[in-house]
Amino acid sequence: MSGRGFNKPSRSLRLYSLIFLFVLYVPVLFLPLFSFNDSIYVKFPLTGFTFEWYGELFEREPVWNALMNSLKVGISVSVLSTVMGIFAAKAITRYRFPGRGPAVGFIMLPLVVPLIIFGVALLVLFSRMGVSLSLYTVAMGHLIVCLPFSVATLIPRFEGFDKSVEEASSDLGENAFWTFWRVTLPMVFPGVVASLILTFTVSFDEFIMAFFLSGSEPTLPMYIWGQLRFPKEFPSILALSSIIIAVSFLLIFISQWINRGAHVTSVKGD
Amino acid sequence: MSRRAFTRSLMAAGVGMFSVPLAGRRALAASDDEATFFTWGGYDIPELFGEYKEKHGALPNFATFGGSEEALTKMRAGYVVDVSHPCNQALTRWVSSGLFQPVQTDRLAHWGDVMPELVDLPGNDAEGGNVWMAPFDWGQTSVTYRTDMFELEGEESWDMLWDERYKGRLGSLASGGDAWWCGAIKAEVDFKDIDTPEAFDKIAAVMREQRPLIRVYTDDTTTLEQALASGEMVAAMTWNSSAVLLQSEGVPVKFAKPKEGALTWVCGVMIHKDAPNLDRAYDVIDSLLSVETGKFMIGEWGYGHPSKKAFELFDDETLQGLGLSANPSNILDAGHFQIPQSQEWETKMNAMFEEIKAGF
Amino acid sequence: MVLLSPAFGFMLVALLVPFGILLLMSLWTAQGFGFDTSLTLDNYRQLLERPIYGALMERSLSISGSVTIATVILCYPMAYYVAFHVHRNKMIWLVFITLPFWTSYLLRVFAWKVVLGYEGVINSGLMSLGLIEAPLEFLLYSQSAVVITLAHAWAAFAILPLYVSLEKIDKSLLEAATDLGDGPVARFMRITLPLSLPGVISASLLIFIPTTGDYITPALLGGPDGAMIGNLIQKQFGPINNWPMGATLAIVLMLCIAVVSGIFILLTMLVRRRIS
Repeated sequence: MSGRGFNKPSRSLRLYSLIFLFVLYVPVLFLPLFSFNDSIYVKFPLTGFTFEWYGELFEREPVWNALMNSLKVGISVSVLSTVMGIFAAKAITRYRFPGRGPAVGFIMLPLVVPLIIFGVALLVLFSRMGVSLSLYTVAMGHLIVCLPFSVATLIPRFEGFDKSVEEASSDLGENAFWTFWRVTLPMVFPGVVASLILTFTVSFDEFIMAFFLSGSEPTLPMYIWGQLRFPKEFPSILALSSIIIAVSFLLIFISQWINRGAHVTSVKGD
Repeated sequence: MSRRAFTRSLMAAGVGMFSVPLAGRRALAASDDEATFFTWGGYDIPELFGEYKEKHGALPNFATFGGSEEALTKMRAGYVVDVSHPCNQALTRWVSSGLFQPVQTDRLAHWGDVMPELVDLPGNDAEGGNVWMAPFDWGQTSVTYRTDMFELEGEESWDMLWDERYKGRLGSLASGGDAWWCGAIKAEVDFKDIDTPEAFDKIAAVMREQRPLIRVYTDDTTTLEQALASGEMVAAMTWNSSAVLLQSEGVPVKFAKPKEGALTWVCGVMIHKDAPNLDRAYDVIDSLLSVETGKFMIGEWGYGHPSKKAFELFDDETLQGLGLSANPSNILDAGHFQIPQSQEWETKMNAMFEEIKAGF
Repeated sequence: MVLLSPAFGFMLVALLVPFGILLLMSLWTAQGFGFDTSLTLDNYRQLLERPIYGALMERSLSISGSVTIATVILCYPMAYYVAFHVHRNKMIWLVFITLPFWTSYLLRVFAWKVVLGYEGVINSGLMSLGLIEAPLEFLLYSQSAVVITLAHAWAAFAILPLYVSLEKIDKSLLEAATDLGDGPVARFMRITLPLSLPGVISASLLIFIPTTGDYITPALLGGPDGAMIGNLIQKQFGPINNWPMGATLAIVLMLCIAVVSGIFILLTMLVRRRIS
């Protein structure tokens, strides 16, 4: 195949891609870089290496509270959206029914509506219903954001395995639940894990909805937003941000790795 | 992995997943005992709650906001806290929202140290001599400028923020609660007339005049402070604390005493009518009024504090350097004191100011 | 159908009900602390009469438009490279490209403030290299700062659909074109580009739509001239305290997006027909 032109190794394209990756990563990596810098000002030249800002983080109770809040929301949302996503993905890939296309489009809708509109709409709804803002309202908002990602991650998994295995199982007299539990689930397991991690990260990092929907308990991004206005806190916010970025990178990498068998159609946008 | 082992591990994982949020909720339930203080971001620090922590072994719960309008909006939407943190200019509207209860001052150990001028605010005695807001922090909105970069022509004045020479190197607070009132001082509008259509026109005109000169309108004071420190800006509208902080870092800045007078404000704490932890709400207030807290507020942030005893800890020179005075009423009298306005006025003013900031 | 129902039902409730209330509220008017609930088109009238709303809407659409064009053009070669020139470890490439996208949006925007700032990475870097005397002020607080940041933040969203559509292209078509004597450019214009158009369309929509409503980037990096409609919507629910007006703006924003996206899809369909 090589030597036919269209897939001949192109040096300039390769160079472009490497520059592209470089530009993609470098801005984000400045946060960790300056979090080790021994100055409260974020500027070159670097003045010295320090762990001080990280140490400071450990003494701050609000950081830990915010972290707990984010974990609570993130874990609940990832479990709920993945459970709903499993059912939805199974239905979408296994059964033909009228209105299937629009139904899928509808579930994917949050991908193409500005989040501010969801945030505002939910805020209006909750306030009219007299529901006071709390982590539950944040979780509700995040569920909307996460469900499409969960479904999109799981569909390729369900598409990717042989339906006949399921059929064989039910032929052997297993009821629907046991077929699902003992045959389907193990086969889509990597997708499920990927979906759990992915939706967790999305929720953990989400800010726009949380801005409108959180009450007294701030999530971690909300806390960071609140702290941006205090220069003395700035370096430890850089430290906090660096930790979040590192953990997010790791989680996402793991989820993508686990799910690497699935076709890369996770963000189709249709 | 055998299917059985797999199922078992999956179940374990499932149980783990679900029990984490539950464990979390239990942890949350424990801290329900503490009072919740709904305050400006930055006031959620242990230094202000020494007494509270000593008494209860923990800090109050905090919820923070970026502006007191945002706070009132959330509480009107049904969000219940124990104590919150408005300023004098919002006082009447907060009281009329019906969401608060008067402060029973006899339940506060430090009430005797409080300067009466700070309690005697317009609107604070609504409905028969109640005290609705216990004063906590007070200070000024004025111009912080680089003494080495800003060439002063004559006296310090609000004109500094309208100086064409420094186009693009001036900064302003974004909230109308500060900027609009400062505009009124600049436009020589008497605060008593600030709700008249003529006042709106006059203030809008000066704000429009200023807008092309401003590099950024922002509510986060870090941005202004860093810009002043780096020389990106030579002058900006700030509160006392910005100047104090910059000075402590050796940046040559001064907190101006404009000849037209600065904008003076008093913020304080109000108790929610449905406060679930009323006793501890009073402990929060007491802690805020304590001498130790006052010492921190004055010394570290350069803000005024209601405690006379806290002021006595500082000598005259230090206070002068912080832009304060041993006799705080001097400052209160010299500045322009905001007059509470109606909700309609706030909405109209903010809408208009947003338009001006966006360039219309 | 039963299986789909939890997700579908949730979305139905979580989308339609709030939007219904949003629509209803846009017909109310703010009155002091509360609302005047008699229905009126007053907010919509104001929206037409006062220049700020239209201008900010226009600015948002044009900023998002620039972001979309820049991102798709910059990402296309990258996706092309992975689809056609990477033969081993494609997955690793894709994971690395999309990795930053999943991390905190707020922090990525914030990172750009650190990069573009007056004493930021670029300015202090250039100055310590002696290339400039004084910091470049135009980097921060401008519409271009907003465009750069958004394009960077949404790059991964463009690459995936582009990659998927490029990957799907039947290689034998390209071989056939080569055999027929097409040069690289002609081959690209005649086959690769038209066949990857679906990817271009979804990439464009996936970027254009969410960025129109963004308010964090303009708030942090836009300065006075970089404010977008999202900022104004957020302000209506904050300091301005005019929820009905905020609801109206949200509804109109959605309509604008729908119209622009519709026109865009129509145009690309026409172009596609012309090409093939």
